[in-house]
Amino acid sequence: MSQLVPAIGFGLITASILAIAAVGFTLQFSVTNILNLAYGDVMTASAFAAYIANHAGVDIWLSLLMAALFGAVFSMLLNRFVYFQFVRRGTRLFGMIIVTIAMSLIIQNVLLAVFRPTFFSYEVSASASYTFAGMILTGSQLAIMGIAVVAMVSVHLLSTRTRLGKAMRATATNPGLARSCGVATDRVIDVAWLLSGALCGIAGVVLVLNTATFSEVTGANFLVPIIAAAVLGGIGQPYGAMLGAVTIGLASEVAASVINPSYKDVVAFAILIVVLLVRPQGILSEVASGKEVAA
Amino acid sequence: MSDAMQFYLSTLLIYLFIDVMGVLGLNLQFGVAGIINFAYIVFVAVGAYTAAVVSLGPDFPGNFQHYLFGASWPFPLPILAAGAASGVLSLVVGLISLRRLRSDYQAMVMLVLSLIATLTATNATGLVNGPAGLANVPQPLFDQLGLPPLEYQWVYAIWAGLLTALTFLFVRGITNSPLGRTLRAMRDNDRAAAALGKNITALRLLIFVVGGVIAGISGAVFVEFIQAWSPGSWLYPETFVFLAAIIVGGSANNWGAVVGALLVPVGFLEATRFLPQDFNLFGRHVVLFSGLVDALQWVAVGLLILVFLWFRPQGLFPERPGRFTPRAAIASAGKGE
Amino acid sequence: MAVAFVVTVAACGSTTQSATPKTYTGTLTFASFNPFTGPDASFGPEMQAGCIVAAHLINKAGGVLGHQVQCITVDTRGDPADAVPAAQKMIATTSNLVGMNGPSSDEAQATVPIINRAHIPMFADTGQAAFDKNSNDYFWRLTPPDDAAGIAMAIYAYRKGYRRGAAVFGSDLSSQSNVPTLVSTFKKLGGQIVLNQSLALDQSSYRSEVQAAVAANPDVIFTEADPQTDAAYLSQLQQLHGLIPVIGTEPTIQPAWIKAVGGAIGKANLAQIYAAAQPYAPSQGPAWKVFNTELLASASEIPQPDQWAQDPYTQTDYDAIVTMALAMIMANTPDPSFFNQQIANVVADSPGATEVHSYQEGKDALAAGKKIHYVGAGGPIVLDKYHNSSGAFQVAGYATDGSNPQLDIVSAADIAKYA
Repeated sequence: MSQLVPAIGFGLITASILAIAAVGFTLQFSVTNILNLAYGDVMTASAFAAYIANHAGVDIWLSLLMAALFGAVFSMLLNRFVYFQFVRRGTRLFGMIIVTIAMSLIIQNVLLAVFRPTFFSYEVSASASYTFAGMILTGSQLAIMGIAVVAMVSVHLLSTRTRLGKAMRATATNPGLARSCGVATDRVIDVAWLLSGALCGIAGVVLVLNTATFSEVTGANFLVPIIAAAVLGGIGQPYGAMLGAVTIGLASEVAASVINPSYKDVVAFAILIVVLLVRPQGILSEVASGKEVAA
Repeated sequence: MSDAMQFYLSTLLIYLFIDVMGVLGLNLQFGVAGIINFAYIVFVAVGAYTAAVVSLGPDFPGNFQHYLFGASWPFPLPILAAGAASGVLSLVVGLISLRRLRSDYQAMVMLVLSLIATLTATNATGLVNGPAGLANVPQPLFDQLGLPPLEYQWVYAIWAGLLTALTFLFVRGITNSPLGRTLRAMRDNDRAAAALGKNITALRLLIFVVGGVIAGISGAVFVEFIQAWSPGSWLYPETFVFLAAIIVGGSANNWGAVVGALLVPVGFLEATRFLPQDFNLFGRHVVLFSGLVDALQWVAVGLLILVFLWFRPQGLFPERPGRFTPRAAIASAGKGE
Repeated sequence: MAVAFVVTVAACGSTTQSATPKTYTGTLTFASFNPFTGPDASFGPEMQAGCIVAAHLINKAGGVLGHQVQCITVDTRGDPADAVPAAQKMIATTSNLVGMNGPSSDEAQATVPIINRAHIPMFADTGQAAFDKNSNDYFWRLTPPDDAAGIAMAIYAYRKGYRRGAAVFGSDLSSQSNVPTLVSTFKKLGGQIVLNQSLALDQSSYRSEVQAAVAANPDVIFTEADPQTDAAYLSQLQQLHGLIPVIGTEPTIQPAWIKAVGGAIGKANLAQIYAAAQPYAPSQGPAWKVFNTELLASASEIPQPDQWAQDPYTQTDYDAIVTMALAMIMANTPDPSFFNQQIANVVADSPGATEVHSYQEGKDALAAGKKIHYVGAGGPIVLDKYHNSSGAFQVAGYATDGSNPQLDIVSAADIAKYA
């Protein structure tokens, strides 16, 4: 029992990383309806971008910003030059999943070819650790949680308080109607990829700050928990993704401490399935039947 | 032809047959019934493990591998058991996921299921020997036939080909039947099909189970050939290879499934093994560092998939329009756009 | 099945015995049949380096029976389903394939029978105990099985005065195979395994696992997991509690692991807490010097060659190629069906045999009509009737200059006591 409280603290750290990644994933999916399975690889690519900056002497937190920028631009270009081209040629949603898988293979193995099969670490100065109510957290972990909160609040404000946010939600619900109401859906889609890519880039670096070291598969290994968090909360729902992230993060850490560490993912994913049995649309989603996947 | 070449070619042929079986089953689920089953490889794996444990004989304390339910069932019971086990699992998974979930949720739940299955098989070491997997699975009728290995392998290829042909005829029977037409109608517009009084969930469940049985049998034929099976053989990306085969070959077309299996798992993945490891560039002898060739193989596979989707988005063998379902019309009426 | 197989092998052996050797023209090929992609991708380059060094030296000495030799790589992708066609393709399409290094644990069970049937001598690096009593004629193993590594770790820990051990191993095959003998030996010695954790690989957080470990209050952690898993685990241990002495296995002494963990917890910290039990390779003596000199001169084909200088697997893979080449001279043919039987004679310490330390020395001695006893870069090779040579273990540490100073030796006799 004494291990439960610290486990909750650890769960919050995992949840922060997952939340940043899952919100980015779900945001882009809701606007563009492309299930981007190369998301984890873009995280890895961004982590490498930060690595290059970091080893050129740039501070890790500044490198994180550069990774966000890299992720944003990379994602937007990925959409413009690959995904959107296929969509325009009439590739349907299911074919698009295959396209994203192909891109995942390509990105991952180009990284492997360029950086070679070994492991990389950032230069991070050690940070002091603090104890809150039995939870032990270091300065950089607090920073990670802070980043998650800031990112979440920004996404919230953006989508509810700005014209752009409205346009994104309109595009997500019904792109045809949005277009005929004068929304420049192409630009909205670009912005969605930029935003999602920035969150993806941040998530990549933050993930590596946790794993302490990374290789070309680090991001891809994290993809399924991200998807699980997004689905658990209800796809296309940023708040749902946050809730899903917290659930999965806490469940896996608590499972590791009280059940058996090797089953931590099994427990977290089993929760996803149980929740979906009770609420088939996810925790927060109202059923948007127009967004059904057409095979 | 040298013996070695015959071994290689017969191996490829057997792999092709097994992949065709697998792709046919998935094509039934996805192409015909519209179920996105990202956990398909799990049903192949369950078939393989089942066939393995019922032919390995009872487990004993000093054994180098441990598993549940060891038995020495004679041919062809292991294959039937494999089909049955995967069918039962499909029924359970289908009952949970097909009834209430939206199709994109189904897809992702299946992905998660695939991971759960791998993690369980890896960590519950008493189940199917954990990460080491099972080995020394006896080949069916090897002792009884008494053939030299090469001849046995050709006989096995014929046997696998026979099973594949049967599967093909069976699947074609389904797709050409009124049931098949209903399934396609329901895939394209389930509300319209429901309005015609078809019990959608029951039909989809039926087809899901049939696909699962085929997957299980293909797994059994596979494991009885390579004689070993471990979690590394059925990680979730393996399903994507089958899906890519369907997309390349042509979804909902059984010949497309055959050609897709020939091109993607066998063709793409095998042909890239022939990339050179060193070459002469402007008179300089260049040796590629180890691992680079292998990384580039995967890049090539990715590029090939993109190229196919770009130039033949409908696949090499597009689905033939059905005579009774003007599906384009129904589909456009049903969609907002 | 096994019986039928042995009969078939015997039948093949008897037919080829009476036949004449095949004739070979052109370069002879050795393959490194290992994972080059996937979770065990680090195995491939380690084995290939040994092959390349041996090939250079053989070619410098004028080749084998007038043939030059070369090395190729075959990627098994680390799983049996991919390895089977890879093996068939290698056998069918490689001209003059006369021997190989590999397979590794991931694919050995599925591919050893195929390679054996094709009469290709294989010097495997699988650690599976299933091959301790191997019956495949063409299977050879110069490194001890993984369960022996578990025993060596336990003995060293006990000698160092540790009594409360935590076993923290990845859930993968090669890691888990160390655990049973580690646990049983440490208990037999009088130690206590306070925690036995199997880690899900490549998680972002192991904090709860670390917390559980800290609560069990171990004075030593035994570990093997992939580099990222151990790096995350140990760096989180460092954050939450502070580091505890670690005893790893051979895969942890590999450059990728050292780089990952050293980067995660700091190289100086790693140097203080780290030791690893690996097959004994003296990394000194005349045979090793020949190997090392050529290794360091091979930077154009082997990236950062010095990383393999003290690696027992690279060394034994080098020894494997040299041994095969010398066996060819003794059999007077590169045909594996003939020289395979000479392999044991190359390394046997038979009376009156001249001790040789390189291909060149062996070739010269054979040309002078002497019997030879090849002592390898990885030390003497003592083959048992199952084609296994499992010797002593050494415990190596880590120094911040990148070297691995030897800390202790666990003799083969000590290991046999607990096997």
